[in-house]
Amino acid sequence: MTRNAAIVGGGHTDWGERDATWKDLAQEAGKATFDDVPDVGPPDVEGLFVGAVQPERFAFQSHVAPLVAELLGVEADSMIARTELACASGQAALRYAWLAIAAGQLDTALVIGVEKMNLPDGHDEEMQTSMSNVVDREFDGVNGLNAPTYFSFLGQRHMHEYGTTQEQLAKVAVKNKTHAANNPYAQFRMDIDVDDVLDSYPIAPPLHLFDCSGVTDGAAGLILMSEEKAREVTDEATYITGSGQSCMAGNSVNNVPSFSAWPQATVAAEQAYEQAGIDDPVKELDVAEIHDCFSISEIIEYEDLGWVEKGEGGQFIEDGRSELDGDIAVNPRGGLLGCGHPLGATGVSQALEVHKQFTGRVESARQVPDGPETGLIHNLSGSASVHSVMTLGRDPR
Amino acid sequence: MSDEPPRGSTSLPDSVDFPRLFDFYEIQSEDETRIHEFYANLDDGSLTTTECADCGELHFPPRVVCPECTSDDLSYASLPHTGTLHAFSVMRAGAPIGKVDDLPFVVGIVDLDGVDVRLSARIDDAEYDDLTIGDPVTLKVVDIEGPADLERVFYRFVPADADADVDA
Ligand SMILES: CC(C)(COP(=O)(O)OP(=O)(O)OC[C@H]1O[C@@H](n2cnc3c(N)ncnc32)[C@H](O)[C@@H]1OP(=O)(O)O)[C@@H](O)C(=O)NCCC(=O)NCCS
Repeated sequence: MTRNAAIVGGGHTDWGERDATWKDLAQEAGKATFDDVPDVGPPDVEGLFVGAVQPERFAFQSHVAPLVAELLGVEADSMIARTELACASGQAALRYAWLAIAAGQLDTALVIGVEKMNLPDGHDEEMQTSMSNVVDREFDGVNGLNAPTYFSFLGQRHMHEYGTTQEQLAKVAVKNKTHAANNPYAQFRMDIDVDDVLDSYPIAPPLHLFDCSGVTDGAAGLILMSEEKAREVTDEATYITGSGQSCMAGNSVNNVPSFSAWPQATVAAEQAYEQAGIDDPVKELDVAEIHDCFSISEIIEYEDLGWVEKGEGGQFIEDGRSELDGDIAVNPRGGLLGCGHPLGATGVSQALEVHKQFTGRVESARQVPDGPETGLIHNLSGSASVHSVMTLGRDPR
Repeated sequence: MSDEPPRGSTSLPDSVDFPRLFDFYEIQSEDETRIHEFYANLDDGSLTTTECADCGELHFPPRVVCPECTSDDLSYASLPHTGTLHAFSVMRAGAPIGKVDDLPFVVGIVDLDGVDVRLSARIDDAEYDDLTIGDPVTLKVVDIEGPADLERVFYRFVPADADADVDA
């Protein structure tokens, strides 16, 4: 009795260090989204789902979903909520919209992800404080664990256990930051090579500055509709074919399963693949937007999303298998490394990229060749304790 | 042109006082946290954690309810003060509030000897370049200096051979 749901369009703001408030960004994303789908307007929206991680600390604003409804003139007379799942908040918002449509509760949903991370000059410490409370603040954040230090442990362990090299990490950064050069809304549009990454500041070794995503202001939006309604407004809809998530009851350093593997990603991916009927992801997926918050993350994801044997992730990038013309085009948008990572907006932006790749509406330099028809988005969150995976297709499953 | 509107002013304090929690360290007294015994034991020089009286599960971080069996009959057990480095790095930039003056500093993951407990910790008296995975480390207790009205402590680790190096 579940119904198919489809992305019918979406929009994006410029990402970076923006001279704009949280509310400005939400409005920009809303306008860009409605502009993209002329047949759907704010009064048509029955459900509103807003991905936002720390508006309370970054913008001193709570209860943001009704604020967005007001700013965009959205009725939301069926369901309205903000989702917080750290770096996966945007995908969580999309997932709830999908579930609400699949369950027959509503036909048209607006998904908006917004984060305003850059604080006024001189307050970088406050911003980083809000990253260190995403891990267990009392026992891990307290020790100076924020994202770069936490993921440096994964880099070190993966290199130690599997022989992954600093150059392989750098290759991920080069790929994604140069993809971003073809993306007008990206924060880090760079023309760099492996040496540039290795020469950049070793901020938390083995991670150098260019191995990191950034501190980003930005927003993105999507309109999701039931299949029946979607067919009324477009013949180029993108269907959600599968969606999985796993946490495994761990969050602090003592209780996450590993510092070189993410079995949660494997569980989440297997759930999504099964729903989508995907048996061989490397053969069947054309494009993937996966969570490269740091270069090492993407390498571990190649493995734990089931694309290569454990320990072979470094070889996967080395062999060019994740390039635009590789086995799976990974992060053509530029990833978090290139686009930046306005936490709540990232998952929304990833899904929008896959939709635009399917419909051939990205800058030609980053278009995945041969008409991609199947895709995947992946986010990890916090201490990488949770992994979220969604599969997308031009055709409904 | 309409008349100028009346104009007044309002003033704000120069600084705003936030609860000390925002400096990361829990307020450790009995009237603030039910795991105050963990902090009291640490203040006495002992690293401890909770153990479930019903199912025997050893937890870290300490709890008030056992996540294995939902019992709330927990007691404090001693943890070893020695361990080995599972991973480590150095924070060179991007520090949060209260830690900028400490930059750069070494952070690591420590596997405690003989028990199934792994924790993150600052590694004092160590240079990043001198460390290797598997290096032995020992406990150090630090007093958190700062606001006079709170007594707070936390744990760190130091290389096990640090004393030997100083003597040599
Ligand atoms: C890595 C990090 C600490 C760098 O911050 P920083 O040292 O304060 O750097 P600054 O903001 O002062 O920027 C210094 C320069 O580096 C550049 N820069 C900053 N971050 C960059 C990045 N990730 N990639 C490439 N260049 C970057 C800036 O553009 C700036 O360049 P300029 O001098 O030419 O203007 C910060 O970007 C960060 O914390 N990133 C991770 C964000 C995060 O935690 N996300 C969640 C992931 S799970």
